[in-house]
Amino acid sequence: MKKVIFYISVIELMAIFLASCGGNNKPNPVYKPTPYKIDIPFGFPTKLNIPADNPMTEEGVKLGRYLFYDGRLSGRTDPDSMMSCSTCHIQKNSFEVGINNPRFPGGFPYGITGKPTPHVMLPMINLVWNSNGYLWNGFVSENNPNPNFRNIEDIVRMGVVSDHEMDGDTTRVKQLFQSLPGYPELFFKAFGNETVTFKNIERAIAQFVRTLISANSKFDKYIRGEVQLSQSELQGFVLFTTEQGADCFHCHGGYGNPLFTTNLFYNNGLDSIFTDPADRFGVTGDARDHGAYKAPTLRNIQLTGPYMRDGRFKTLEEVIDFYSSGLIQTPYVNPLMHHINNGGVQLTPQEKYDLISFLKSLRDDDFLTNPKFAKPEKFPDEK
Amino acid sequence: MKYFKKQQLIKLIIAVFVLVALSEASCHKINTPDIVSGKLIFTFEHSVGENSLQIDTMKYVNAAGNPYLVTGIQYFISDICLHKANGDSILLDKWNDIHYVDTDLPETWDYFLKDSIPQDDYSSVSFTFGINAEKNKSLLFVNPPESNMFWPEYLGGGYHYMKLNGKWRDTSGVIRLFNVHIGIGQIYDSTGHITRFVQNFFKVQLSSSAFSIAAGQSVEITLNMDVNEWFESPEIFNFNVWGGGIMQKQVALHIVCLNGHNVFSVKDIKTLIHE
Repeated sequence: MKKVIFYISVIELMAIFLASCGGNNKPNPVYKPTPYKIDIPFGFPTKLNIPADNPMTEEGVKLGRYLFYDGRLSGRTDPDSMMSCSTCHIQKNSFEVGINNPRFPGGFPYGITGKPTPHVMLPMINLVWNSNGYLWNGFVSENNPNPNFRNIEDIVRMGVVSDHEMDGDTTRVKQLFQSLPGYPELFFKAFGNETVTFKNIERAIAQFVRTLISANSKFDKYIRGEVQLSQSELQGFVLFTTEQGADCFHCHGGYGNPLFTTNLFYNNGLDSIFTDPADRFGVTGDARDHGAYKAPTLRNIQLTGPYMRDGRFKTLEEVIDFYSSGLIQTPYVNPLMHHINNGGVQLTPQEKYDLISFLKSLRDDDFLTNPKFAKPEKFPDEK
Repeated sequence: MKYFKKQQLIKLIIAVFVLVALSEASCHKINTPDIVSGKLIFTFEHSVGENSLQIDTMKYVNAAGNPYLVTGIQYFISDICLHKANGDSILLDKWNDIHYVDTDLPETWDYFLKDSIPQDDYSSVSFTFGINAEKNKSLLFVNPPESNMFWPEYLGGGYHYMKLNGKWRDTSGVIRLFNVHIGIGQIYDSTGHITRFVQNFFKVQLSSSAFSIAAGQSVEITLNMDVNEWFESPEIFNFNVWGGGIMQKQVALHIVCLNGHNVFSVKDIKTLIHE
């Protein structure tokens, strides 16, 4: 018996030796991704929206960052016709177009064909905590019976193929990245296969997007006890979180919901006629959802104009004026807008000033300048 | 191994086998009622008077004569307690006992209590509507939907006990919007500053809630919330008086919470026998 074990061991050793001394001196790549850990900021939800078939890894996030910023994601290589996620999602503007963007006047994005997007952009912040559906009407949701429209991965595909975004072709895109030196190796490290699939492009970008966490604004530091808010900011916070004040918190959160959104959908008294097929009613068919849209997070709201889903308000002042006295009563207004019979919450000029001061305390400069979220210095095929 | 005799080795193997078998048996007990206890399930239903609540339909009239509709109700119940005829009582689930109910989320309409219920006869059931002062602290819930129930720190913190949202028609025929939101109340001085907070949670003692549970059984108690009762007894709540929001009106909060004692009734008690 001992002899048999001895001979087996010798054969195994020889096999390992021969394998390591093959004709090719290049070591075989090893697929061993490192799990990416999301640190939960103070008060934030512990439940994360990460699909089981796309666990986050350091390698996946790294690849996703390259793809997010690489204009060849449109499937084109001519500098004039390249487009990537970052063409519109610009870090310094909290990953929105930005109202002063020379390419997209007024902050209204349009696709590579010149076709405008149906709605203005939603904040690309803290999306890993959204389980109530993506986009203004929540169409992309785990409740969607169509499995192709359930999470951020699907929004990546929608962005690439849509004619009001990249107007690309998934086959051409994956073939292009397959041909770019450096990328196949990154795909192997992230997903265990050098063959570039569009599914893995979706997965990688979604992983990167899930890392875009904003939780270090002045307000965050205040609730962690690190700084004090100014008197005006504090007054604004009180207005924000009181029913007889500005009453913002029911839809936009606060200390008890630091996402600054419920990620739910409300008719906020903006319109009197509802003809947009892409409102929440278009998804649910529920009469309560006519003219209802997602309440966006107010983090970095100072930078994410124009406001409302159609960008009708250019400034925060215009938004506050609307909530103060511009609400329109219809049968579909959400009951949370219960000040509507007075036209709104009727704020004084000082109260408006304080409320805006508070909203500006939600600006997170660490997020806006975090090098981990920035464009990589070089793409994988660049020397 | 040489220190063990063969007989000792056999004894050791038998002992390990018995230990493993026992541990397997105890794991199963977690999932099924043991020989001396059963399980308790609460199911929540909502009505206006005798009829099931129909969302978003202006067809109801409260005791004050306000025509109204309801768009949704969210609330917490906690501290479920079983009482016996001899005066003993059992508080169930302790710190895990806060249950969230949302008329928009069917998955919240059933509450499966984790604790096993000792087989016995129980004379009645009580619970806290909302969350008691000891537990009602901000950031107790960080995940939605419960986290969306937070009650602002400035107004006392913790969580809404209930959000009852809808619309009513005023005496002029104008449709107005209401948020009957209850939670910690505030007392204001003449300058508008808050001088103290008021805990408004209350205990609901359910009548006709006696039941017996035997080993291996589950008992399902169906509770019904009659929305009209929030506005009816002992004090009539009039939307035309109190307006659309009451979070900062302790007198109105007090009226609603007084009425809340009569809101729930036991609709059905069913015994389910495990196979």
